[in-house]
Amino acid sequence: MKKIIWSFATVTAIIAAASCEKETVVEVEKEVIVVDTVTTETEVEVETSITVSEDIITDVTWTADKIVTLDGRVFVTEGATLTIEPGTIIKANAGSGVNASVLIVTRGSKIEALGTAAAPIIFTSAADNIVIGQTSGTNLDQNDRGLWGGLILLGNAPASFDGDAVSAQIEGVPTDTDGDKGLYGGTDAADDSGTLQYISIRHGGALIGEGNEINGLTLGAVGTGTTIDNIEVVGNVDDGVEFFGGSVNATNLFVWAQGDDGLDIDQAYSGTIDNAVVVQGGISDHALEIDGPEGSLQGAYTLTNATLIGLAENIAGGEIADFRSNAQGTNNNILVTGFTGVGTDLVLSDVELDNEGVAANYTAGTLVLTNWEIVLPTGVTNSSDVFNDTTDSTTFEADAATFSSAVTEATVGADTSAFSWTYSNAKASLGF
Amino acid sequence: MKLKLLLILLITFSAQIISAQEGIISGTVNDGEFNDVLPFANILIKGTTKGTTSDFDGKYVLDVEPGTYTVTFSYLGYETKEISEVIVEPGAEQIIDITLNPLANALDEVVVTTTVSKNTEASVLNLQKNSVALLDGLSIQSIKKSGASDIASAIKSVPGVSVQGGKFVYVRGLGDRYTKSILNGVDVPGLDPDRNTLQLDIFPTNILDNIIVIKSATADQPADFTGGVVDIVTKDFPTRAEYSISTGLGYNSSMHFKDNYLNYDGSPTDALGFDNGQRDLAIPQNIETPLPVVDGNRSAALTRLLEPNLKALENQSGADFNIGFTAGNQYDLNEDGTKKIGYLASLTYKNSTDFYEDAVSGQVFRKQDQDKSVLELTDDRTQSGNIGVNNVLISGLAGISLKSLQSKYKLNVLHIQNGESGASYIRQDNFNVNSNTIFKDVLTYTQRSITNILLNGEHTNEDASWKVSWKVSPTFSKIYDKDLRTTPFRFEPETGNFTISPSESGDPSRIWRDLEEYNVASKLDLTRKHQLFGRDAKLKFGGAFTIKERDFVVNQFSTPIQSQAGNYSLNFEGNADLVLAPENIYDPETREGTYVRRDSNISDSFNSQITVGAGYVGDEFKLSDRFNAIVGVRFEKFDLRYSGENQDGEVFDNQTILDKADFFPSANFIYELNEEANKKIRASFSSTTARPSFKEASNAQIFDPVSSTFFIGNIDIQPTYINNYDIRFEAYGEGTNFFAISGFAKTFDDPIELTFIREARGQFIPLNLGDAKVFGAELEYRRNMGFIPGWENFNFNANISVIESQQTYSEDEEAARIDNLRTGETLDDTRQLQGQSPLLLNVGFDYSNNDNGWQGGIVYNVQGKTLEIVGNGDIPDVYTLPFHNLKMNLSKEFGKENSSKITLKFENIINDDIESVYQSFGAQDQIYSSRYPGQAISLGYSYQF
Repeated sequence: MKKIIWSFATVTAIIAAASCEKETVVEVEKEVIVVDTVTTETEVEVETSITVSEDIITDVTWTADKIVTLDGRVFVTEGATLTIEPGTIIKANAGSGVNASVLIVTRGSKIEALGTAAAPIIFTSAADNIVIGQTSGTNLDQNDRGLWGGLILLGNAPASFDGDAVSAQIEGVPTDTDGDKGLYGGTDAADDSGTLQYISIRHGGALIGEGNEINGLTLGAVGTGTTIDNIEVVGNVDDGVEFFGGSVNATNLFVWAQGDDGLDIDQAYSGTIDNAVVVQGGISDHALEIDGPEGSLQGAYTLTNATLIGLAENIAGGEIADFRSNAQGTNNNILVTGFTGVGTDLVLSDVELDNEGVAANYTAGTLVLTNWEIVLPTGVTNSSDVFNDTTDSTTFEADAATFSSAVTEATVGADTSAFSWTYSNAKASLGF
Repeated sequence: MKLKLLLILLITFSAQIISAQEGIISGTVNDGEFNDVLPFANILIKGTTKGTTSDFDGKYVLDVEPGTYTVTFSYLGYETKEISEVIVEPGAEQIIDITLNPLANALDEVVVTTTVSKNTEASVLNLQKNSVALLDGLSIQSIKKSGASDIASAIKSVPGVSVQGGKFVYVRGLGDRYTKSILNGVDVPGLDPDRNTLQLDIFPTNILDNIIVIKSATADQPADFTGGVVDIVTKDFPTRAEYSISTGLGYNSSMHFKDNYLNYDGSPTDALGFDNGQRDLAIPQNIETPLPVVDGNRSAALTRLLEPNLKALENQSGADFNIGFTAGNQYDLNEDGTKKIGYLASLTYKNSTDFYEDAVSGQVFRKQDQDKSVLELTDDRTQSGNIGVNNVLISGLAGISLKSLQSKYKLNVLHIQNGESGASYIRQDNFNVNSNTIFKDVLTYTQRSITNILLNGEHTNEDASWKVSWKVSPTFSKIYDKDLRTTPFRFEPETGNFTISPSESGDPSRIWRDLEEYNVASKLDLTRKHQLFGRDAKLKFGGAFTIKERDFVVNQFSTPIQSQAGNYSLNFEGNADLVLAPENIYDPETREGTYVRRDSNISDSFNSQITVGAGYVGDEFKLSDRFNAIVGVRFEKFDLRYSGENQDGEVFDNQTILDKADFFPSANFIYELNEEANKKIRASFSSTTARPSFKEASNAQIFDPVSSTFFIGNIDIQPTYINNYDIRFEAYGEGTNFFAISGFAKTFDDPIELTFIREARGQFIPLNLGDAKVFGAELEYRRNMGFIPGWENFNFNANISVIESQQTYSEDEEAARIDNLRTGETLDDTRQLQGQSPLLLNVGFDYSNNDNGWQGGIVYNVQGKTLEIVGNGDIPDVYTLPFHNLKMNLSKEFGKENSSKITLKFENIINDDIESVYQSFGAQDQIYSSRYPGQAISLGYSYQF
């Protein structure tokens, strides 16, 4: 009996909602445009959805039986832990700037988001028609970007900042006068921000401040106590995964069709990234964009077993890798395939030493490249041709003949079987 | 309504022509004892019975037949002055301002005889000479002499005064936080919302009676100034019918008639200083912009509402021109002329065009972070381009005054309308934080208006022992930034591609900002003459109440580009006008194209209200014959209420942020070193305050897309309190010869400064910093060159201010500075106060001959190297470099009664440019911004009838 009453109530609510049509008239002095009729559909999902718009300041668990609507900027703060069950779908509302829906785990607080290959935790847009129990919707694809913000973890591990400050405000979040919620960076390399496992982040990257789109996954000074593996980022406006300093290790990272760079490293990130794939889209910039320390604090990363898949004949450009400013680290077992070669209106995608600082690091041996395999793009005869020292001050281009080789069958690169669970694998028929 | 006004003007005009044959002697009689006018003094044409008395403003008018007269001025207990050689020509006005000094022994009779020309020269300094408070006056005569057409250029000749950007006055080099400008004694909001001071270039000199710069506080002045108060006093009405028309043309060789000048198609009414609605908010505030993937048709329809022209277009620039009219007259309302009504109206139109080619702005240079032994700076961002700006300013003033023997009423209405349209095309290269090249089209339009009404009454009793003055002055001020358009393209040199690349350079953006402010100032002043220590004294007391309310609303949109397989923005090929071209608007079928997205948010908007209630009492008295004093105290109750919401959702609803009640004591002393009272020593002390602005005392978080910085309000900010000490020696010589040397010191408790946040690059917050001190010395010298035979018409004047400021660092700043010291560099205990010039220098040489109508002058002024932006860690301090400005003007009066005047002016004769640089230990200076103002010639003509 109780159940029947419920259904009845639900039906009337839906009817009421459906009849709540209003015409929105936009008046402009020259003309009156009736922008088409808008139907306000208020889904009555009392039992299947929760909306989160306030900061999380006590321990909270999001369960897979409810879609979590992320509304606006939500901080996990004051030492709270946010636990997310496997299979949970988080849909974020649209908006940019202050209105961008972002989940930010602040220093000293934690996220415990442990998905599984069968039931990953999905962060997507409220516009996605995915429902509970599914791993993908049908109405969006990898070119739908910027529909919400992203996931940001801020930690206490060291990061190297301009002007040698110990911590910094994450881009786009204004300073709050009564706290330090937006800060990242500290002195605890072993800092623990929790666990991210089997997470799929889709269609994000809304603008948070001028020229500052949010990355799919932003890791600000996250320490080694944190576990990060099996992460997928699809169709983000900015970078796929960006490491701002910190020392966390990350395994099995997958980025597809990002608007800017696939993997981005800055501020003396000193962890290891093992097994990563970047699949470039039409507007993607670099598959790898690597910067070094900004301040006097030094730190070098390791990137090993990565596969970078480009777009052939992309007139918009799109590069393999850009080593910039003061980049320091080791890049080992990298497979490069499918990038744009030489031809009409085409510019060869390359691996670049961008300036004198990074060129000096290369010569000094603090930037190391080993075991690169290149599936040669059109019109290119030697693997070393895709390596370019813009300063022409090092032996980089000559050395490339040694540290890289042209292949048709790869022997290095990522173990792609680790990504068979991803949305991208199915959507793009990657065959992983 | 307008027709009626015109009709009145015509009637009064024709009435005047008929009676134009008599001449007029007019002027003001001043009291040498107090710095005040002398009412009811007797003015007599010697050898006749023709005479009058001064009204309670000290003003008098005498209608006389053309001829040469001697005029006597007398008042009981005062010396009598006889002015000979007063020549009155038909229809002309001879102005004689005079100061009568009291007699030590009331029974003596002293007659001082002088000629009219000597008297006129001397009267200029009278106000200053007799004032107990330290002040500098700029009479309309001296403004005319300087050839200046607006106050901003005239006021530079006052010692210690500098004008920033041709608009804002700094007194003693203290930033505008510490300088206050008021109109007719009351607060008026300025055209710039972020400044405390009024913009001075909007006032034409022909509506002025005088400008007074007060440098030491007295109880009757508002307490919120430190450097000085600039009081702009408009004319009541002229002593006779006066109509004038003036017009001017200005040509700048580097700005005008240039084919590559940038502008854009605005509205047809731009030339009148306002937008006709074309730039109105395109998408109303209550309309949401859906994601195109959710509702493509609606998204496209809303996108089409935006004006599609985004490109800065190359067109030929015009020259500057202006035109102005004034009319004024007075009429007797009764037989004996003791009741008068008069009016003054003025209308000015100014159209000016600025064009800066290859202007550099907002460049970023850094110290080497890795290796502190590297002294040279490295470039992180270079930015330069062409900037075109057209500025239209219309100001209208209409005032009516009614005067009787013991009362005066004045109603003034002032309206200023200003429209500024800008277009620029900028190249930006980033090397560090990002590595890219960006080309930006930026189109701006700002419309400002101020309407101020002043109702003023003054009353006195029969023996003028009581004087009451009251003022009520409402002001409405509106500033609209209408549809600011920024379209950034990323340029890739390798491919030659232009793309819109949001993560590198941002999406194209549109901004509307509305600021509305009303302000009602009212005050009541009472003056009572009395006896103290057996000598005359003057008691002043009264009160004031001001209420100000400001509303600030921002609407901000972006127009991102949705791509599918390729990058859709490649289609635009770098042409900003294609971004919103009909064929490029989002197409729900292909799911590609440009769409609109609302970016604004609540934390940009706020509402604030300030009330200031004040009461004061002060007494001006004599301790001996030569020792004058004004001692007083002022009480001010200041409240600031704020409504707004920050990004964290913290809401303030009309909450009191500041609630201060303070007493501000002041004491001014003047001691005459000799009988003739031409050598004096002044000393003064006062306590004053500097209050945070609306925006500063808020929790607003306002993003400025022009500078890409965040302004973070500080809800905990406190007012600054300042103690001011002044000492000065003055020597008055013959005529206008004058010498003064002054020293001053100011101590600041909790000075407010906009500071960087070390951990948040590009975010700024106003903070109460550690205490600051300012010391200075001023030297002023004016000399008539008559000691060289034949040089009687030449005058030399010079003034110099040397100022040392010491600001202690905030904790963050000190840490950031220490962490970024270069090898061998040490940190000083203090630094300069932001915006404080260490040196101000004015030197001028002028020629003036009333007989042949020639006037000319050459003026040089310069301001010392000033700390403009306080550095942030590895970004060094930015200093404004001295701009050496040498100007010349030449004018000739001619025609009947010298009613026509031609003026010729040359600006920037040295051909300097305006430059700010990064300075760091052992490093070469690097440019932060630089603009070349060009060399301008302007020609003006005015006709008075």
